[in-house]
Amino acid sequence: MEKPVATLDRGTTCSAWNYCGERLAAGSVDGSLSVLDSRDPSSSSFTCSSKFKAHETGIVKVTWIPPEYGDAVACISEDGTLSIWEELVEGTQPLLWKLCKSFKTSSKVLDVQFGVNQTSLKMVAAYSDGFVKVFELLDPLELNNWQLQAEFQNVIDSVSTFGKASCLTASISWNPQRGEGQESSFILGFNSNTPQLNSSKMWEFDPAHQRWLPVAELALPGDKGDQVYSVAWAPNIGRPYEVIAVASQKGISIWHVGSTPDLDGRLSIEKVALLSGHNSEVWQMEWDMSGMTLATTGSDGRVRLWQSNLKGTWHEQAAFEPTSS
Amino acid sequence: MAISAPQNPSQVHRFPQFKYIDAVRWLPPVSAFDRFAAIAFFDSDSNSPSIEIHCVNSNLQSSFPTLTSQSSWAPPSRISSLKTAHSTPQPVIAAATFSGSLHILASDLINGGMIESGGTLSELGFHSGPVAAVDLREGGTECVSVGEDGRINLVSFVGDSSNLSYRRIFDANGLVGYTAVKWASPSEFVTGGYGFGLQWWDQRRPGGPVSQFKGNWCQGKTSGIVHSIDIHPSRKHTCLAGGSSGTVFAWDLRAQQQPIVLAGAGTGEAAMSLLSESEVWEVQYDRYTRSSNISNISSTRILPVMICSEDGILAVVEQGEEPIELLADPCAINSFDINQQNPSDVICSLEWESIAILTRS
Amino acid sequence: MPGASSDSTSGALVPLLPEAQGAVVYPLHHGLTSPVSRLSISWSRGNSLRISVFASPSVNDSDNEDAGGKVVEVKLGGGDGEISDAHWRRITYGSVSPFALLQSRKNAASGLSKMSMNSSPYNVDWWEYIMEYSKDISALLGNQKSPSNPVIDDPESVIKKGQEPTSLKAAWELLEMFYAEKPSQSWLPERLVDWLADYNSLFSGTHPTVHSKLIDFQKELVNLQVVEDDPKYWEVMSSALAVGWLDIVVKMLRLHGSYQLDQLSNRETENGLVEAVAVLISKMPRMRLEQKAGNLGECFKAKPDFVKAWEKWRAQINKLDSSAFWFQCAHQQTREGLRSMLQVMLGNANSLCTATCHWIELFISHLLYIRPFTVGLESMYSLAQKCIQLKSVASAHRLMRLIIGILGENTEVVLAECSKGFGPWMVAHALELLTTGSDLAEMLLHEEHQNLGGISIEELHRLVYAEVLSSHPLTWQIAPIYLTSCVKQGMVLLQILLSKQPVQHNQLLFKNIEICRLYELDGISSNIMKIAGVYHWKHGRKGSGVFWLQQARDEYRLNRIAQQLFDSVGKTISDESFKQWEGLIQLLGSESKAAGGLEFLQKYRDFKKSLQQVHDGKTADATHQAVESLISLMKTPSTPQRFWLPLLYDSLKLLNWKDRPLLNVSQTNLLLNKLQELSMARLRPDFIEAELPSQALNSVRLALATNLGRAILEE
Repeated sequence: MEKPVATLDRGTTCSAWNYCGERLAAGSVDGSLSVLDSRDPSSSSFTCSSKFKAHETGIVKVTWIPPEYGDAVACISEDGTLSIWEELVEGTQPLLWKLCKSFKTSSKVLDVQFGVNQTSLKMVAAYSDGFVKVFELLDPLELNNWQLQAEFQNVIDSVSTFGKASCLTASISWNPQRGEGQESSFILGFNSNTPQLNSSKMWEFDPAHQRWLPVAELALPGDKGDQVYSVAWAPNIGRPYEVIAVASQKGISIWHVGSTPDLDGRLSIEKVALLSGHNSEVWQMEWDMSGMTLATTGSDGRVRLWQSNLKGTWHEQAAFEPTSS
Repeated sequence: MAISAPQNPSQVHRFPQFKYIDAVRWLPPVSAFDRFAAIAFFDSDSNSPSIEIHCVNSNLQSSFPTLTSQSSWAPPSRISSLKTAHSTPQPVIAAATFSGSLHILASDLINGGMIESGGTLSELGFHSGPVAAVDLREGGTECVSVGEDGRINLVSFVGDSSNLSYRRIFDANGLVGYTAVKWASPSEFVTGGYGFGLQWWDQRRPGGPVSQFKGNWCQGKTSGIVHSIDIHPSRKHTCLAGGSSGTVFAWDLRAQQQPIVLAGAGTGEAAMSLLSESEVWEVQYDRYTRSSNISNISSTRILPVMICSEDGILAVVEQGEEPIELLADPCAINSFDINQQNPSDVICSLEWESIAILTRS
Repeated sequence: MPGASSDSTSGALVPLLPEAQGAVVYPLHHGLTSPVSRLSISWSRGNSLRISVFASPSVNDSDNEDAGGKVVEVKLGGGDGEISDAHWRRITYGSVSPFALLQSRKNAASGLSKMSMNSSPYNVDWWEYIMEYSKDISALLGNQKSPSNPVIDDPESVIKKGQEPTSLKAAWELLEMFYAEKPSQSWLPERLVDWLADYNSLFSGTHPTVHSKLIDFQKELVNLQVVEDDPKYWEVMSSALAVGWLDIVVKMLRLHGSYQLDQLSNRETENGLVEAVAVLISKMPRMRLEQKAGNLGECFKAKPDFVKAWEKWRAQINKLDSSAFWFQCAHQQTREGLRSMLQVMLGNANSLCTATCHWIELFISHLLYIRPFTVGLESMYSLAQKCIQLKSVASAHRLMRLIIGILGENTEVVLAECSKGFGPWMVAHALELLTTGSDLAEMLLHEEHQNLGGISIEELHRLVYAEVLSSHPLTWQIAPIYLTSCVKQGMVLLQILLSKQPVQHNQLLFKNIEICRLYELDGISSNIMKIAGVYHWKHGRKGSGVFWLQQARDEYRLNRIAQQLFDSVGKTISDESFKQWEGLIQLLGSESKAAGGLEFLQKYRDFKKSLQQVHDGKTADATHQAVESLISLMKTPSTPQRFWLPLLYDSLKLLNWKDRPLLNVSQTNLLLNKLQELSMARLRPDFIEAELPSQALNSVRLALATNLGRAILEE
């Protein structure tokens, strides 16, 4: 059956595995961050190798930075500050986790995700006022030097801005493909009191004009104000279209997004499934590496797995219910 | 992956293990009939590493030998390097781990092969990160260890002191990393590392390498690292090394910066037979091939060499001759050892959780 | 199905079952005592899912020793309760070569058929290849073919317990006989008889079988004084006879009391009847290719010969049945027992039904005694349906579902049963058999599905299997073999798989890079090397870091490193610390392109050394050496432009040498030209300004001009 791989300290509230699944970062309610790993190659038993205080308040989210930039994590704390920590050896000092950068703003950071392309590392942060900021790393070997590249709100027509937006959560998912000629793009949705911000939109970088453009809105006309809990962009191993999962209060919808834009620069979209299962809030959605299976968790306390059959019909394949015995 | 069968009539016996094999070494025999081997395992189901003493029984009635475990010892971490040496009264085993510790073990082969720990070094300053390679000096009283952290340590053990002490020979502070080591004489040893570089050290002249063999001799072609070094007791001036891209070369101290390439990358000669393009994990002088007329071979000629590779080749390479393939497996051969006392016997560890024992006739 | 499972429910969690049933809810044991507050999920490599379970902070935190959370891993689609993980890996390893060989033969065959337009790739050789493949795979699943056939001499032991048969092997043999051995279909009934003899014990777990009856009787046998008095003796023999285990029956008959020497005289007729039946049983004609050594029955390869022998044999049974000797047999149990055995041999449907337990046994008995000429799956299928009606079972064994699928000639069902019952390994390897020789099946399995993003069912199942392989650190290296047989989506999945491998340890890293080399994935391999380079560089192993970045040809990072090194080399120029840099500079090499601008450090080191000597007052040679080094540094294109000014500024003492001009006219001109170039470059936006005093450029220019003047005068 299930195999235990690690034990977490009391007060752990969030965790994230690195790109190869060999290190786990776990954030705690007291603001400390633990890193679990194994010294043996190919081991599946992980123990804490470092623990340090990353924030004064509890950590609510932790994300690994792509491995091309070192062993580093970004942490979001309860008060909405974002910090970047890196494991490194400096001079003759022993290996330790060091604070590289701390971002403090009046509005809280709700989610942060990293996207890598040929030469640069981009960081997208979504804020509680409905704004999105894209930062770019200036020096590939130093994680302290970030430049703000763009700042915009998650709305499809850029004319209107919403000053008094108050967002509870946000979810960002980068396009996992990073081949040559692939422009950076990500999907973003909010859970807020401002309907226009909520629906998940796909943003793509336009290198000619150095700006981010919304290329698709993944919501049916009647659902555009729905609060979005989570978004997940599936790996594409050869499909002519992209698959994206969006969880809102109405359930989990699976979208197919075409690759060629129309005259307005918008991509064709099709909602192929609406799945219900977690009853209320969906906490997290993750695609497996082939993009064939979607795993989700939600406030019903279960893990659910979803797959499509030959006819293209999505269905729940299995569920896991945690039990203590 | 080559699937061709070897041409020569050696007998091969395979022993599937249900565990990954990190290293294999013969142990010096205690009687004429028994052969013992030290094997480092990793059980991936239970995440437990072990070192076991196995007895290889070749039953004369059936031609099929058996491999039976005599005893087992649990190291704190997986084994990154394993060496054995003849010593009285018991053979000595040096085992280095990925967590940076070194263990000196002894096995009483006459009485059931129990493993006794002769001492452990696991303090923080010993190595930072894994120990990349160790080598035991003939007679088994000293062990040299190297790591990618750039440290070279000399561990001495006399008698059965459970506390090992070590001396730092050099610390390159990570600016240079070492991946292989081999004793050349009681006071000299050779290390190998990145860029096919080799360094000759002499304890009598501390402070740095006495002589360096420059890496990057392959001039712009793919460079690599040295995985294994061997030095023949009768040719101490020549250091044999195997590494990336099927490279096997010898460095003759007398011909300073010119390598003698036996196989693989970086050769201008088109005639060079390309045995394997993948990693050569281990090299050892083959004392079996033409062992009788070793004295006839000119001192500039490199003695026959056995290699094993990532693409599943176990072969004997001789300068200027076609290599002889002893095994061509669909999976990698990660390590092998030629039995010193009975060089017709070779033990190999295969990637797919099995051990092969080769008896050449 | 996560991990191990019981035999009956080992339906593997694989995608795309033809009919989606309601999702199964599996319990997830985490062992925490506090209630769970939240979960977090993450896919590891392949199809292993890691779930973090966080406990709610309890009220009295201090006296709670419980952990704050657990991380558990579940693997989907792998495993089988019958076979341990380690054993599965052995099967996995062993199936690589047969699969790869068959694929290469397939590619060669399709290449040939393309050249000669309309010839089918399925020629005679092809059937041989398929059989070779099937036999290779079958051999992996267990060696002992027939554990239950008695060849022992111990008269007390009726049935021998050999190596435990596995359902997996049984399933493979079924597929082999129905798909790979297609040309020999007339022997199919007898193949099924053998199959049941080998694997009957598998069904005993949930249902009584002939095998379990035999085992039970075997236990009682020791305590029986007079076997023929026990009705079970006769019952068991009829059962064994019904499913064609002639050897066992004959052996059991010979245990009959009338054979004992002291009884022979007064039980002559009885013994004669027993022996007559035994002889008839051992003479049973059977339509099969060959008989296993020591087995009873007479073999006939051709149908006409068989028919003749069959009729003759039946006539003999009838004759014995109506013989008068029965009235002379005093022992009632013997009389009745033997006659009911004759009824079995005569194909009395009721007798067969009574003698057998499981429907498959009844099915086999029908094939043996009622319809020995049954050919074609259709008639077998209807016979099977009939037998199932007579012997209905609550839960069907996975092998039974597979048989029904095969007999029903429904490839999709067969595939689904293989998948549900035996997992992704089975499906990926069985596909080779299913597609052979059936155009219909081939079309079905090779048709591209838009809903799957344009891949076929065959490719889908190989991808699924590759994911299973990817999820274990010891088997992921095999996944490429299967992924490269997936023409549409395999390569991208392979790239993702390779990118998710750890880089910390050299051995694993080299194995990873080797796979990149084999499949010409240079981009992936440079990225892996880049990750390794950054990892080592940041973790204090600068030498390893630089090496890997060089291998990755990552000029971008190497240039940044050159900058950092320049700073530290500049700072720590003392002899002692230089010894350590020596090795790194050595590694950087001299002229190779891959050094990415770092090899200038070597020259820079020489320059700094001699400059140091100049400052120390050791003039003469040192000044000359320093000038040489400076010129060489400025000449070589590998010296980055941003270092030009610092170099010149460092050399001010040389340029302003009191005694005589150290640089000749052409040397001075070279430096002036470089300075000019630098002034131009400063106008470009990407110019990196060196951290030097603001008057640096002017003082260098002035010094050079002065030097030029003095040099001209000297010459």
